[in-house]
Amino acid sequence: MADNITVLIPTALRPQVDNQDTVSVAGGSVRDVLGSLAGKYPDLGKRLFTANGEQEINRFINVYVNDEDIRFLENLDTAVKPGDELSIVPAIAGG
Amino acid sequence: MSQDLSRYHRQMLIPGFGEEGQRKLLGSKVLVLGCGALGTVIANLLARAGVGHLVVVDRDFIELTNLQRQVLFDEQDVTDAIPKAEAARRKIAKINSQVKVTAVIDDVNHTNIEKLAEGCDAIVDGVDNFETRFLANDCAVKHGLPYIYGGAVGTVGMTYAILPHTERGDSPWEQAGAATPCLRCIFEQAPPPGMNPTCETAGVLSPAVSIISSYEVNETLKVLTGNWSAVCPTMLSIDIWANTVKQFKVKRAYDVGECACCKKRNFEHLAGLLSSATTTLCGRNAVQLSQPKDAAAPKLDFEELAQRLRAHGPVTASKFMLRADIKDNGAEYELTLFTDGRAIVKGTKEPNTAKSIYAKYVGA
Repeated sequence: MADNITVLIPTALRPQVDNQDTVSVAGGSVRDVLGSLAGKYPDLGKRLFTANGEQEINRFINVYVNDEDIRFLENLDTAVKPGDELSIVPAIAGG
Repeated sequence: MSQDLSRYHRQMLIPGFGEEGQRKLLGSKVLVLGCGALGTVIANLLARAGVGHLVVVDRDFIELTNLQRQVLFDEQDVTDAIPKAEAARRKIAKINSQVKVTAVIDDVNHTNIEKLAEGCDAIVDGVDNFETRFLANDCAVKHGLPYIYGGAVGTVGMTYAILPHTERGDSPWEQAGAATPCLRCIFEQAPPPGMNPTCETAGVLSPAVSIISSYEVNETLKVLTGNWSAVCPTMLSIDIWANTVKQFKVKRAYDVGECACCKKRNFEHLAGLLSSATTTLCGRNAVQLSQPKDAAAPKLDFEELAQRLRAHGPVTASKFMLRADIKDNGAEYELTLFTDGRAIVKGTKEPNTAKSIYAKYVGA
């Protein structure tokens, strides 16, 4: 399968993905996409998921498929299709 | 008393504004939380727009590295070591004498925020930590006050206007069908200490804060003039270096979510249940800061934090603790951090100074 889902990486997590601002991966669901991303970049996986394996995203990080928050769709089971954009968005604290 | 409105002519030409909108602004009172990078732009623009009364709260003093982005301050303020809130008051008095500024030199916490917000028409966010933001959000939801969130660090920023759902559901924005989810609907949990870069460790580009804070002011002007349907119903997220501008939808967060704050009206932050505690350590010229216990919060990543803090002085880290020497505004501090986020700041007896050092160099 082609790597057809674009994942936008926030500044805070770019060191964990060789300083790329986007990474393209394949997958039919958010779980597939983030799972293969964590497989490729284990340090990112550690930041993204809770200690409970890859079952749950840390609550201070939001994930959007295009412009919708996955928590209010089907969470990790939310389907993605080629061309979709997945944004990893931690709350920004500075000011 | 009728005030001369001629200086506001250009903005009164805007549809939905007019003389009526201008009079509303002059009759408004706004709480500006924090007077740093975001807060100075917010206070500056609100004062120039003619918002009648600004309550500006900040616990810090002005330092040289602030001048790159904190637009109300100058070199003389650094020399005179003036508190930020007071310097803002003096500067605004010269900019617009029709505006009253109440300068409050204090930490914002669960014991004083409701009093600070008393009689205000909106709360605008210029703070540098999530603990205060969740507190402001609780206060806004409990008292039915619009709260405009904004945050910026590095080259990224985020902003979002909260028109809270109220207990009786009869606020003007609810009647206009414009209520929005609260900050806790969107961010369930504050990032744990040390997880995110801060402006002190990762830097910040002034346009990032100017854009976000100007946007916050934009939404505040709509709120104060009652243009509810014009308030942006999405969360803006920008990266001015990667050239991305995103608008995230938030509506379903309230429709589908089970928010403890705005749905269940459980104000844990306001009750002080989730706030950090400070203890002045007797005879040691040090303050201890302990974080609220949250079993879900991951342990601090010392390796990465040590790397960021090395820019400010020597750092040693073991599996159990991290120790860093920090020079901040001419003073020297020794910061000791434990994996659960607890910290001891040596070099001060002032809880507010210790909290400020923690927010600036560890972050929350």
